[in-house]
This record gives sequence, structure tokens and C-alpha cells, in this order.
Amino acid sequence: MNAILVFRDLRQRTVKVMLVSLLIAVSSVATISLFSEHLQQTLLSSANAFLAADRQLNSRSSAPIPIEWIGQAQSQGLKTSLVAEFSTMVASDSGFHLVAVKAVDDHYPLRGELDWQSDLDSPRQSIMHGPARGEVWLNPRLMRMLEVSLGDEVEIGVAAFKVSGLLVREPDARMNLSALAPRLMMHLDDMPSTEVIQPGSRIRHQALFAGAESALVDLEQWLEPQIAGEFRWVDVRQTESLGEALDRAEAFLMLGGSLAVLLAAVAIAVSSREYARSQRDVVALYKTFGMTGRKIQQHYLFRLGLWGVCSAILGLLLAIPAALLLASMAARLMEQRLQFQWSLWPVWPAVLTAAVVLFAFAWPAISRLRDIPAMRVFRSLEQSKPAASLVETSLALLAVFALIWLYTADGLLVLALFSGLSLLLATLATGSALLLKLLGKLSFTWQSWKMAVIRLKRHRSASLVQLTVFAMTLMLASTLILTRTALLSDWQAQLPEDAPNHFLLNIPADSVESVEAFLTEHDIEQNPLYPIVRGRLIAINGTSANEWIVNPEQVSELNRELSLTASSALPDDNSVLAGQWFTPHERWGVSVEQSIAETLGLQIGDELQFTIGAEVISEPVTSIRSVQWDSMRPNFFFMFPEYGALTNQPATWLTSFYLADEDKLILNDFVRQFPTIALLEIDHIIERIQNIISQVSQAVEAILVMILLAALAVMFSVVSATLAERQREGALIRTLGGTQRLMNRSIMLEFAMIGFFAGLAGVMAAELAVWGLQYRLFEGQFQFHWPLILTVPVVSAVLIAAFGRWQLKPVLQVSPMLLLRRLE
Amino acid sequence: MLTDRQSASGNDCMIEVRKLNHHITLSDQPLPILNDIDLKIAYGESAAIVGRSGSGKTTLLGLMAGLDTAVSGEIWLDGHSLLTISEDERAALRASRVGFVFQSFQLLSALTALENVMLPLELSGVDSARQRAEDLLKRVGLEQRLQHTPRQLSGGEQQRVAIARAFAVEPKILFADEPTGNLDSQTGNNVAELLMQLNREQGTTLVMVTHDEALADRCDRQFIIDAGHLHERPQGMDA
Repeated sequence: MNAILVFRDLRQRTVKVMLVSLLIAVSSVATISLFSEHLQQTLLSSANAFLAADRQLNSRSSAPIPIEWIGQAQSQGLKTSLVAEFSTMVASDSGFHLVAVKAVDDHYPLRGELDWQSDLDSPRQSIMHGPARGEVWLNPRLMRMLEVSLGDEVEIGVAAFKVSGLLVREPDARMNLSALAPRLMMHLDDMPSTEVIQPGSRIRHQALFAGAESALVDLEQWLEPQIAGEFRWVDVRQTESLGEALDRAEAFLMLGGSLAVLLAAVAIAVSSREYARSQRDVVALYKTFGMTGRKIQQHYLFRLGLWGVCSAILGLLLAIPAALLLASMAARLMEQRLQFQWSLWPVWPAVLTAAVVLFAFAWPAISRLRDIPAMRVFRSLEQSKPAASLVETSLALLAVFALIWLYTADGLLVLALFSGLSLLLATLATGSALLLKLLGKLSFTWQSWKMAVIRLKRHRSASLVQLTVFAMTLMLASTLILTRTALLSDWQAQLPEDAPNHFLLNIPADSVESVEAFLTEHDIEQNPLYPIVRGRLIAINGTSANEWIVNPEQVSELNRELSLTASSALPDDNSVLAGQWFTPHERWGVSVEQSIAETLGLQIGDELQFTIGAEVISEPVTSIRSVQWDSMRPNFFFMFPEYGALTNQPATWLTSFYLADEDKLILNDFVRQFPTIALLEIDHIIERIQNIISQVSQAVEAILVMILLAALAVMFSVVSATLAERQREGALIRTLGGTQRLMNRSIMLEFAMIGFFAGLAGVMAAELAVWGLQYRLFEGQFQFHWPLILTVPVVSAVLIAAFGRWQLKPVLQVSPMLLLRRLE
Repeated sequence: MLTDRQSASGNDCMIEVRKLNHHITLSDQPLPILNDIDLKIAYGESAAIVGRSGSGKTTLLGLMAGLDTAVSGEIWLDGHSLLTISEDERAALRASRVGFVFQSFQLLSALTALENVMLPLELSGVDSARQRAEDLLKRVGLEQRLQHTPRQLSGGEQQRVAIARAFAVEPKILFADEPTGNLDSQTGNNVAELLMQLNREQGTTLVMVTHDEALADRCDRQFIIDAGHLHERPQGMDA
């Protein structure tokens, strides 16, 4: 019987509004969870291509990877691949050249693809294997330098190999010294036959692993005690350029999910309150039929439960195609094949959201129906409102924030949102009271204004509820817009389109001018030139560096020669955190990078001693700088003033520039003209990072659009929920002679006022939340966002006025008699 | 349990009211509504309570139906003291014995005429709810309007649906609050006729609050309520 009644309920407007809110809640939370899970997997596997694997194990010395470690990984179901890198000479009929050899086995790469050409004029292909035994692939520039063509032979050590293709890009190319020489790729099994690798040769061994996350974690734990300093375990999150972007994207997705939960709570709180109101007469009637208070409670509990289950199922059914659609859109944008990774666990936040939100917000209002007096059937005009108690509201809010906390495991995020919302509610409570008082004192001659203000005042509490809900919704949407803008501009700033993608190293002092002339001749814009002086840090405040440093492994930079430089200008992406940057003609002092200053515990004024060749210099720390390591620009731990301690030291020079892909042939001329200068090409690394960042940005945009749609739906459902009373009042006003024009204008003005103030309060609260989030979560600089502060109130006023007008259309168009009859 | 038919008060009245007093509190001041009301209505009798607006008619009706509790006095409904049993027991009593017809019909706007009549049957778990509701709607002349919602029905038709709903559970007693109050005289007469007919057919006790003298005249007994005091009007006397 109950089930029949529940289905009949579906015809009621308030029930529909509540179910739609619940459906929006469940489906948006589920879509976001499913999509972000998929996205994280996709982004991570895309980022993992950077390693050509999910994890790498790299030898620090020339020690090979123990074979039993590989066996252990394979026994855990992981895919493995072995790689070795070394530098050697390659010879052709026309000469020989230093190359960076990468020897790979049959399984390489485990993630990502190689860009390969069958010859110089054929199109690039993406392939997922290295060269066959007996063959080598060459970098296109190397091919020109060696003057070989496809099918020719080259010699490495004592073995000869056939050139069978051009290697354009490898997924895991890195910015290291061996990359200074052009790349040659061969099969790992051919390496012994070259006899190049002798005891004591410098060779870097690498094991690649891919597979289930849990198996990777297990392997890491198993290896950890054994790798002790000899090997390095690499996770893509540790790579400076990407780790941070991925972390921030994850934080953003989490924020998006939390906002969806909050929006859902708002929608359900409002619609269930309206539903409870609409049920008062029904409950009174049930009581005349003899239903007891307890039975009535059971009756509604059953309904809520059934609606919760139905909307959870339906919401999930809607969310799956929606997430698939988003994923396929994202795949298209990311130019990737769609591989939707199904997993059931992202579904639990949606189901839990439905349950918690429904019972935290809907149940208190509905459970109070039990107390509706049966006598109400005779006195239906009595309009006592089912007011929520402070305890109930607090418990409900607590439940939602607990839900967000559970969902994101991020106390700071919850705190920022909670403070933003608290400020919003406090502002609204005082602001709206003041506003209504002010509006009441002003005398309006324009009838529409007068009516709008009268209605606002008369329905003070209803207006306040709408104002609050709109303001909360707008706050949440604005928070997301602001964080998204901050993220995107941050990323764009990190790697702009024309970020330098080529480095010139080892420029002898006497070649600086001719290098500059070469670059100018080819219209290449050159970045600052830095002198590089090789030196070691030997003492701090008179104590030897080795004694000063507690844990030498933490400061691996100090175990090798440092690149010291001098400049009068602070690099663009650096900023001074403590002390003063050098004055133009400064002669003394050294500026230290922040992280190394922290590791070494350096303070302004500490005396640093370096050896440069046979000479020892001693300089005080005069400033500490932050450096953006992920900017891919030349950056230094220690910088000296232009006319300081490094002035007379033997230096080579370094510079960087941007070169478009189509201009790369210029490099051949350069190499020919300056054979001793090392050219480091990082364009493919930058391109890959830019590509991943743009993928993350697209994902962020997609989530933003979803949340904005959900926010709009919530706002509309709130207007709909409170519509019946307005329609009744509108009908009466029209009966009493109010013209359509008057009704039209006054309704739009009333909604516009609510929309404007809600927008203003919402965007201000969003600024507070963003300040909190930006400050800690996204580690950015905070600033007021005036364009948004000015736009949101106006847009919200226009939108809400238009929606109100649309919803009240029946009141404005139909004859008053028919209207009253309908509303009876 | 409320199964015994025999009156606990020792007589065979469907309703017995003794020394009933009721007031409401307005601005901390008690405002008397009913004063020392005594009333007995036998099984199968029909009684009209008439009086000016605000005289306390509807309050008395609600108290007799167990929809509210009085400040003092006794009310016995079918042998059960309404003032000594719990709200749940009163609800059980209503479910098994009481039907209502309201001035403002109180139909659920989202339900069709048929579903409105089925509602109390479904709540009492009657299996043949649909058949019984259809029969009753046919009986009140609305066989063509089964699937119409209240908005699509005239006032008279809505009240006929409400009457069909009231009789659906075959109540022992029917309380009607101004059943023709919202209807024109012709429609009101038709509705009144229907109400009396069904009442006779089912042998129901009828207690009705009305302004309509003609309707009151059709009842076996008439009571006048004035400033909270109740008097029985001798039959055949003009008001």
C-alpha cells in the first residue's frame, strides 16, 4: 500500500522538486567521482609515460640491477623492462661522433610511446618497442652529422649495426648531461658485443616497472631496505615539473567533489522543507483517517528511504553515461584513446551523500509532521512553519562537513569552506536585516519598486532563505571559478608558449660574441647569458661542510661540483625571501636558493667558503631566493654579484632560447659552426609537460562546467520550491486589479534584488574561502578578483529575475479566475 | 483494545458528551470556547449543530471526533472515553469507526477522484479498495469522472468525491463540517440529499455542523450552540 502512495506522491510538485534535487545531488557527486577517478588514472598513466613506466629504479653508480629484484617484481604480477644508458663514440664512413646510447630490451617502453620515422621524409609514427637486435635508431640530427642513410652501417666499439630508423622522441627523455650528446638507441642484448662496457665504465642501469598500484607499493617496500644509496626509486610524482601540477589538479577535483556535496545538501534542505510544508494538510487528513503519529513517521521514513534508494540508483545510472561522455570529451581534447577505467569505489560518495544529506536535512522537517494537529483539517489557513531547531541545523551541517572530510581527507579544505560559509551566513543575517530596514525607510514612488520592496519585507524569512541559498550556491560556484583561474594562470606562467626549449652550455668566453651573432642572424631571441664557474662548497662559518651537514644524502648537490654564476639582475622567476638582492655595482656577497638554505640551515650573514680550482673564496650570504625549478629556465643554487667573487674566475657561459620545431634545422648549422658548445634540446620535455598541463586544465574546466550546471539547477529548484506561495499571491494581486505589467516588473525587481545581494555576499565569501585555499592548498598569492566581484552580482540578478519571471508566467498570462481555481 | 461495542458509559449512545469545557489561550489569556456541554446522540441518529460563526461548532465537532482534546469534561465515542485514551488509541478509533466530510473538501490535489476515495481504504489495508471506490463514485454519480483530479471537478463534484471517500470505510459515525458551505443552494441540496441517503443506507450516525437551516431540518435532532453553550432545539421549531 505504502508503495502505491509513494508513486502517487510523484505527481506533487514539491516531491518532484525534491527528487530532482536528490537526483542532481547523487548524479553530480557520482559523475565527478567517477570522472575524477578516471582522470586521475589517465593523467597518471599519461604522466607515467614520462618514466616509460609506472616506477623506475635507477642505479646511482654503474651497478647493474640484481636479477632477483626483477624476478620479485614479476612474481608480483608486474611488467618489467631493463634499460642501460652510456656515452660512447659511434663511427660511420664519414667520421665519428659522441653519442648517448640507450640500450633497451624487448619490453621497452612499458608506458608511453616512441616517435619514430622510417626515413627523414616519412611521417612520424608512434610505436611501442625499441630497435631489433643488430639494428640501431639514430636521432635525425645525428644522422646528418654522421652522413649516413637508412640501411647504412655504423660501428659502436667492435660491433657494426644497421641503421633501421630515426628516433624522434623517446617517452622518458631526461634533462641530464648524457642527453648533451645526440641519442642512439640499440637493443640491450647487443650491448656486450660492442665491448664498450668494461669494468669501471660509466653506465647507468635502469629497471622499469608497470602494473597494479598495490603491487608497486609492495615492491617498493620490499626493495627499500636493499637499495640503500646504490639505487633510486622514482615515482612520477617526485618529478618537480609534474608532481606539483598533478597534486594541484587532484586538490581541485577534490574541491569540486566537495562543492557538489554542499550544493546537494543545499538543494535537498530547501526542497525537503517545502515538501514538509506541503504535507501538513495531508498529514492532518491522514490523522482523521486514523493514522497514528508513529505510523505517519514510519510512512514518511519509508518514502524517504525509497526515494533515497531510487534516486541513488537513477543518479548512478545517469552519472555513468555522463562520466563516460566527459571522459570521451576529455580523451578527444587530450588526443588519447579512451580507456574508461571502471571501478566501483567512486560510487560510494554518491550513495553516502544521498543517505546523509537526505536524513540530515529532510528527515528533521518531515519527522515533525507527526506533531501536526488533526484539527488542522478544519483550520487549513493556519500557517505554522516547520521551523528547524538550531541543534538540528548544526547537526545537519556537521554531518555534511564530516562527509566532505571523509571524502577529501583534507581538514584544511573543510575549514576553508566552513569559514567561508560561516562568514556568508553571518553577513547575510546582519546585512539583509539592515537592507530591509533601509529599504523600508526609503519612499518609492514607482509602484513596481514599492511592491517588490513590500513583498521582500513581508516575506522576510522566505526571502532570507532564498537569499541564503542563492548566496551559498554562488559562493561555491565562485570559489571554483576563482581557484580554477588561479590554477590555470599559474600553470601558464610556469611554462609559457615561448618558454626556452634549448640550452647552450660550455660556451667559451671567446665564443660568446659569435654565438650571440649567430642567434641574432637567425632571429632567435636569446635569454640572459650566465657565466658558469665550477666550484665546491667546503665550509660554512668556518666549519667544514662535511661536518656541518648532518645527513649528506639530503644534500647530494654538495657532493659534486656546483655550477656557480654571477648576475646583476635577479632572474625573472626568482624572488628574494630574505636579505637584499645585489645593488648594481655590488662586489661581495652570495645569494642562496631557499631549499638548500633550509637544508643547510643557512641564515643571512653566514660565511660560505668555496674552492674554485686551486683558489678559495669566502663570501657572506646576503640574500635567500625562491626559485621556480619547474620553469625549465636556467636556475642556480648560488649566485654572486656581477662584479663579485667570480669576476676573474675561468668561466664558460650558458644561455637558453626558444626555437620552434620547424626551425630546428638551424641547429645543424650551429653544431657545425660551434662543435665544442654543448646543445641541450629540451623542447620535447617541455612539449610533454605542456601537454599534460593542458590535459589537467581541460579536466579542471570540465569539472567547473559540471559544478556550474549543478549550481544553476539548484538555484532553479529553489525558486521552483518556493513558487506555490508566490503564485497564490500573484493570483490574488491580479484578482485585486494588479496589472500584468505591474506584476511583471515587481516580480522581476524582487528576484533581481535577491539575486544581486546573494551574488554580492556569495562572491565576497568566495574570496575568503579562496584566500584560505590559495594560501595553503594551492600555495599561490592571493589578490582580490574585481572582475568577478563586479560580474557575479549582476549576472545572478539577471538570471534569477529571468527565471522568476519565467516560472511565474502562468500567473501573468492566465485569467485571475482560472488562476484562483487552479491554486485552490 | 477498542473492540467492544458496548458502551462503557452504560448506555447505547454513539456519542455522549458530559460537562465539556474548552478554551484556547490568546496572549496568555484563556478565551472560553465551550462551556459545560452535555450531549447524547444514539446509534443511527442524525444530529445537526447550528450556530453563528465563531460560536464553537467546529471545535465541538473536532473534539467529538477525537481530533483534539478538551480542557475538561468527558466524551464517549462508541463506548470509549476519548479524553482518557492516548492519541494513538484515538487514531485507531477514528480508523475503525469515523468518517469526515469537510467544508473545503480536503481532497488531495495530486490524486484523481478514484485515488482520493481509495486512500482511506488503502490506509486500512482493504484489498478491494479500487472496486469499492469505483462503486461508491458510481453511487454518487461520478462514474465518468474517476480519473479527474480535484482541479478538473466542480465544487459539488468535489464534495461528492469527499462524501464517497467518507463512506468508503463504512464508518459508524460521520462528522460533517459545513458540507454544503462552499456550494450554491441547488448543488448544496443535491449534496445534502446524497449525504442523507448514504447515511440512511449505511445506518451511520451523522453529526453535522451547518449554517444551512434546510439541511439541519433534515436531521433527526438539532442543537444550537451560542457563545459556547449548547441547547437542543425541539423538532419543528424555527430558529
